[in-house]
Amino acid sequence: MGIVRDYAVPFALAVLLHGGVLALLFQNWQPETEELRLYEPRVMDAKVIVMEKSVRKRPVPATEQPKPAPAPRATPPPKPKPKPPPPTPSVEQPPQPDPEEELVRAEQELRDRLRDLSAQSMQLALAGEMADLRDMEADVETMSYAEKIRQAIIEAWSRPPSARLGMQARLRVDLVPSGDLLAVTILESSGNSAFDRSAEVAVRKVGRFEVPKETRLFERNFRRFTLLFKPEDLLR
Amino acid sequence: MTEPASVLELIASASILVQAVMVILLLASLASWVLIFQRWFGLNRVQREIDEFEDEFWSGIDLAELSGELEEREDELTGIETVFNAGFGEYRRLSAAGTTDPDAVMQFVQRAMRVALTHEEERLGRHLPFLATVGSTSVYVGLFGTVWGIMNAFRNVATMTQATLAAVAPGISEALIATAMGLFAAIPAVIGYNRFAARVEVLMKRYEAFADELTSILHRTVVAT
Repeated sequence: MGIVRDYAVPFALAVLLHGGVLALLFQNWQPETEELRLYEPRVMDAKVIVMEKSVRKRPVPATEQPKPAPAPRATPPPKPKPKPPPPTPSVEQPPQPDPEEELVRAEQELRDRLRDLSAQSMQLALAGEMADLRDMEADVETMSYAEKIRQAIIEAWSRPPSARLGMQARLRVDLVPSGDLLAVTILESSGNSAFDRSAEVAVRKVGRFEVPKETRLFERNFRRFTLLFKPEDLLR
Repeated sequence: MTEPASVLELIASASILVQAVMVILLLASLASWVLIFQRWFGLNRVQREIDEFEDEFWSGIDLAELSGELEEREDELTGIETVFNAGFGEYRRLSAAGTTDPDAVMQFVQRAMRVALTHEEERLGRHLPFLATVGSTSVYVGLFGTVWGIMNAFRNVATMTQATLAAVAPGISEALIATAMGLFAAIPAVIGYNRFAARVEVLMKRYEAFADELTSILHRTVVAT
């Protein structure tokens, strides 16, 4: 049939094209936030270059010194081998029993230390990134709780007739982990005592706030927070 | 927070109407691409045939011989060949019938060719109206789906005690997919329509030019005899 001949190829091409687009959509085109790339710290091999005899003694203590500072607990006893008296590197040392072998050993030690260090820093970076992630989640959660608290206070607040635009009172609220009100203090008065009182009453009227169950979140944001009351609205 | 929903999940969670709109748009896009490819190959083939036929026509071949050649495969004549066949066939029939008045002969020949040209134009422009329709309406169809989806998203928000962005965002996102699909279907269709309409016009010009040339050649022979 003519129709089959005329349309088979175009149909196949069209289906192929759409299939390709859909495949792209459903596989590669995920939102990019998913990709959490971990950048691995590059490990560099630091080599102690063996130099002339007169200079040889100095590099060892010199390179030794920076190590203990970043990672004091990694390998505490590196010093005894290279040189018994490291505090005074500039002083010319008496010749050691076998400096060559000692240098090789020191170099090996340095390498080990470096490897330890890089592993540690990688773990640190990982932990940091995880913490960032958790923080982001926590922020969203915090925001939603803050919003609930705001809503509750707005509902409880009756603005006094003397309230004017531009007034603002800042209150500090202390809570216990259950969300119950512990104390409310006026940090910054609006200048209008009725307005200040109305704000305080509003907080007391709510009495119990919805707070995150997670202690970490609570401690960070809800143990103590300040509220800014303005007649037009109230903001945290 | 959970990771953002994939496009597939968004589509799956869309309301029935929005999903229906998406299916319609997908089909429209599929159909328009089928026709785009079909027209593309078809017009390329027609152009190739015109080139070949004109080469043959101007190679000095005897017209009667050419006509005989075409007559042998009368069932599969295409494009320019049918124009030639219509004109020359009419001419031969008239001469066989003994009509000698040149004006009358030319009138019949021209009329026969005009009929063939009309048929050809229709054949060339086939499916173009469909592309035009898809191009102009699928955007609106997609927009309809989006408006509907956003409407629902906001209606759901109204029932919530606190309206956060997280509550509306998925609904809007899913609704916007409909617009994206509408554009996805419309853009190729519009481009295809414009391009093919222009090509059809060019091809028709060539047909007409050929028809005029054939007319003048036949006229010369009629007057000469």
